[in-house]
Amino acid sequence: MKVSLNWLKTLVDIKDIPADEIIQKLTMAGLEVESVDDETSKYKDFIVGLVTSKQKHPNADKLSLCTVSDGRAEFQVICGAPNVDAGQKVVFAPIGSIIPNGKFKITKAKIRGTESFGMICSEAELELSDDHTGIIVLPEDKIPGQPITEALGLNDIILEIGITPNRPDALSHIGVARDIAAIFNRLVQIPEVNLIESDKKCTDYASVEIEDPVNCPRYSAKVLLNIKVEESPEWLKERIKRIGLRPINNIVDITNFVMYETGQPLHAFDLDNLSGKKIIVRSTPGKSEFVTLDSKVRELPKDTLLICDAERAVAVAGVMGGENSEITGSTKNILIESAYFNPSSIRRTSKYLSFSTDASYRFERGTDPGNTVYAAERAAAIIKEISGGEILQGVIDIYPEKIKSVELTLRYARINKILGYSIDKEKVKNILIALGMVLQTETTENLTVSVPVSRPDIEREIDLIEEVARIDGYDNIPDVKKVTITLGEKNDESSFASQVREIASGLGCYEMINNPLQSEMLAAMTGEPINLLNPLSGDMAYLRTSLIPGALAVVRKNINSGENNLSLFEIGNVFNKKVSEEIKSFEDFEEKPRLLFLLSGKMSEKTWDQTEKVYDFFSLKGLINAFLLQISLDNVLNDLYYQGQNRIFDLTFSKSLGKSSIGEGGRVKKEILKQFDIEQDVYAFEFDFDALKSIEKIQKRYSEPLRFPKIIRDFAFIFDSNTTFGEVKEFISKSGSGLLKSVEIFDIFISGSLGDNKKSMAFTLEFFDSNRTLTEDEVEKEFNSLISLVTKKFNAKLRGI
Amino acid sequence: MLLEKIQDIRNEFRKEFPSIKNAADLENLRIKYLSRNGLVSSLFDEMKNVSREERPSAGKELNSLRDEINAGFLQLKEKFSKEESKEKVLIDPTLPGRIVNYGSTHILTKTLEDIKAVFKGLGFSVYEGPELESDYYNFEALNFQPDHPARDMQDTFFVSKDFLLRTHTSPVQIRVMEKMKPPVRAIMPGRVYRNEAVSARSYCMFHQVEGLYIDTDVTFAELKGTLVSFAEQFYGEGLKYRFRASYFPFTEPSAEMDISCYICKGAGCRVCKFSGWIEILGCGMVDPNVLKYVGYDPEKYTGYAFGMGIERTTMNKYGIHDIRLFFENDIRFLKQF
Ligand SMILES: [Zn+2]
Repeated sequence: MKVSLNWLKTLVDIKDIPADEIIQKLTMAGLEVESVDDETSKYKDFIVGLVTSKQKHPNADKLSLCTVSDGRAEFQVICGAPNVDAGQKVVFAPIGSIIPNGKFKITKAKIRGTESFGMICSEAELELSDDHTGIIVLPEDKIPGQPITEALGLNDIILEIGITPNRPDALSHIGVARDIAAIFNRLVQIPEVNLIESDKKCTDYASVEIEDPVNCPRYSAKVLLNIKVEESPEWLKERIKRIGLRPINNIVDITNFVMYETGQPLHAFDLDNLSGKKIIVRSTPGKSEFVTLDSKVRELPKDTLLICDAERAVAVAGVMGGENSEITGSTKNILIESAYFNPSSIRRTSKYLSFSTDASYRFERGTDPGNTVYAAERAAAIIKEISGGEILQGVIDIYPEKIKSVELTLRYARINKILGYSIDKEKVKNILIALGMVLQTETTENLTVSVPVSRPDIEREIDLIEEVARIDGYDNIPDVKKVTITLGEKNDESSFASQVREIASGLGCYEMINNPLQSEMLAAMTGEPINLLNPLSGDMAYLRTSLIPGALAVVRKNINSGENNLSLFEIGNVFNKKVSEEIKSFEDFEEKPRLLFLLSGKMSEKTWDQTEKVYDFFSLKGLINAFLLQISLDNVLNDLYYQGQNRIFDLTFSKSLGKSSIGEGGRVKKEILKQFDIEQDVYAFEFDFDALKSIEKIQKRYSEPLRFPKIIRDFAFIFDSNTTFGEVKEFISKSGSGLLKSVEIFDIFISGSLGDNKKSMAFTLEFFDSNRTLTEDEVEKEFNSLISLVTKKFNAKLRGI
Repeated sequence: MLLEKIQDIRNEFRKEFPSIKNAADLENLRIKYLSRNGLVSSLFDEMKNVSREERPSAGKELNSLRDEINAGFLQLKEKFSKEESKEKVLIDPTLPGRIVNYGSTHILTKTLEDIKAVFKGLGFSVYEGPELESDYYNFEALNFQPDHPARDMQDTFFVSKDFLLRTHTSPVQIRVMEKMKPPVRAIMPGRVYRNEAVSARSYCMFHQVEGLYIDTDVTFAELKGTLVSFAEQFYGEGLKYRFRASYFPFTEPSAEMDISCYICKGAGCRVCKFSGWIEILGCGMVDPNVLKYVGYDPEKYTGYAFGMGIERTTMNKYGIHDIRLFFENDIRFLKQF
């Protein structure tokens, strides 16, 4: 909300306090000043200029060549405005001025071959309004050379204050003034209303009825006759413009002025267009329609609060007025509405219509139900002062059940218990009174106050403590640095993930963080995705069901920027729907963390001493096994291999614990890659991270280095080509005695010379006993027996030893 | 006969040996005398023709000749190989080293780990909670009234009437308190979502760390002390800080903590929007309504809570100007950290 410091100065005496101090203290007290617009410094360079001559620019039809005098010297200035003329007093920006709109600096310029030494300004350029159709023409009485801050009274400071939702009372100049008064120990001066009423009674000219007192607890109105709708006087237009509003006509401007002064939104109806001279406040019994001020027909849901006359709806209460009763240039008689509406009701309507106004913004946060009559009278008095007419006697004020103020007791000891320091009791009392609380009773331990109805946020003792703390200033609260040791288990649910991230990066992978929101195409690729009811866009409308599609999109993006070689990992949650209907409980869906590894492109480029290496299936397998070794899950999980029968991979391997799979991966199918426009192979592996986390890790034990020599034997066989290393290894390991400790493959050879559909595999066998030295003989015996077993089992032919 | 031959060859060798000047000569010498078809070998072949009486003395002579030639050969071989390494530079040390592949954790992970390290040092545990939350945990139990404008502070993605993507990590506070009895001292990192248009300054998904401490005598003064020591450890000593009043439905009183801008040292720059201050977190004393929701007695227990954004902190610290860079996963970005 924009607040004018000059306006505030009419409400609280702060002339002696520097603006910087006011700004800083307001911010500290919770009315955060987000930006400051200081007119004095913004307009310091601009002066009144007199246009002494005007000619056409020699080379441009639409430009004028003017001479501008600042009272001492004359400057040649090129001006593009159609309304510039000799003899005018104008706003002149000499060289070096900074133009507020666009923040550019005026320099000596050559325009179409002619030099220009300054600029004649429009309102838009000075950010005085958005009018850029011509330059500002100043009144005759201004003196050339006079600073325009003086000539135009541009000496205000405008504060943009962020008002938090709990402080509807601060959505006005009086509200802000009240906080300032409390902070600086000053008094708020509420403007007096000087009502000159005629002897006609307002109740003879209009009446109000509330049919729904729950949603409209109070409705007040003033009636004026024979007013004139016209342009507002300068002072009012200036006030309105400073807070960022556009002057419209005196009636609208006054209602806005009073709203920004008091916080009470007002609405003026053309009394002659109110059928039966009657206002009825009621809620819609069912769906209905309404034509709003912007000439749109809007549909309203059941229970929308409406302002009606004897025949029809004339406004959606608190949100927007209707075409049929609005003030026009010919309006003579008006009814000023000043009501208090139920905040939830207004919020529901405003949300439903996606329509928010300054008025609805205030109503839905909670206006002051005690202030409706004052605001209506304040507006009536100003209207009469400005546009004549007569104010009818009395006020219409329907208030079936008075909203009571809350009484609260504040224990001084509780302040200390919450804040950790004590505040002088007298000070506590003064702060609360300055904020509008009324002292009821007082003892040495506590005090009881009644809270003004303008502060719906103060309902409990803790709320009073907050008020005291923020006005006294949080700076006064000491910072106590103590560490109390809590005995008991320290827990870190994220520690395994941290460990995995360190290991994965150590194994050469870079961590990704992908947005779990993605398109239906990606999300549906791997599961039953959950959709958002209100997505930002179609490509972020679903929750991912696997980390793979998002990662493939990353591969695509990197390839686009010329980065083809990728080793990546990610830990993140995936979401799957378990029911077809709407999600109603945590049982209806599953949110689980996963861990993904991905390899694609080259592992290393060609260098001076080695050829390039490309990631393949075995790079992935090696990576996964190294990873499992590092988290102590080697020798715990089983490998399983298959081709086909998988949504994502055409060559798959999986890791399982017993029968339950805890992760799978492999080479991503070509048809999947095609959807991402990826031509190079991609290898990926995805773990169920919770499963990985919950498997009991083998406690590592130290084992002595071998003290006796190993005996190594090699053999090679010719097998049928469909015989796998895995099965031969398993058979040899199983057939060997306890002396055979390892079987590894060191060569594979496929050639027609071996025979059709044959291949050769060569193995290294390691024999040892950790307690003694083996003899050549016993190894020889076992080795020979293995040769004959393998030969027989696989119908293999020994090729060499 | 053989003895004479042996003597001739010995003489020939002794004459030839001093003239060997380099490795090539030596190789010729080796081929001539010591190779499989060399002179020494051929003398051994002739042994079978030697008479039984002559054999011992011939064998002895022949062995001695072989040893002499061998010794001479080895001596020169060693000499030449030493000289060779002195003369020739075989290794060009300016060639690049062999490539070692390495990776890295995401920069947001690094920031989070730094934050965790500080709070773990202060005795905080670490808990996590779900991203797909119920309205109850995300709003209601945190004292957001239905139809209250406070809900507008956090634009929400809904998946159904009562389920949504959490807008902050604060629901984990409720989950932790439901599970445990006081004292509770924990931080709760996690991913959160806001239905906000994507731009350089805001993204629809980001990360937060929530903090909570509940016990019998926890005060605002202690909240300030803890957060100041966090800021000193995380951002460095010598910064100024301030706590200013703010509003969150689940804390009362509420505050925002600013530190003096570490870029411009308070003089004003773009990072601090020329205010000299950078907002680093929101905090406050846990609202009694929240304590009641989880069954803690608000007369007996008090506590504080705080929450901070990881992205903003990281952007300020590393000079990253566009929040979207974190989630594009451009390898050229990832490799920088
Ligand atoms: Zn700065």
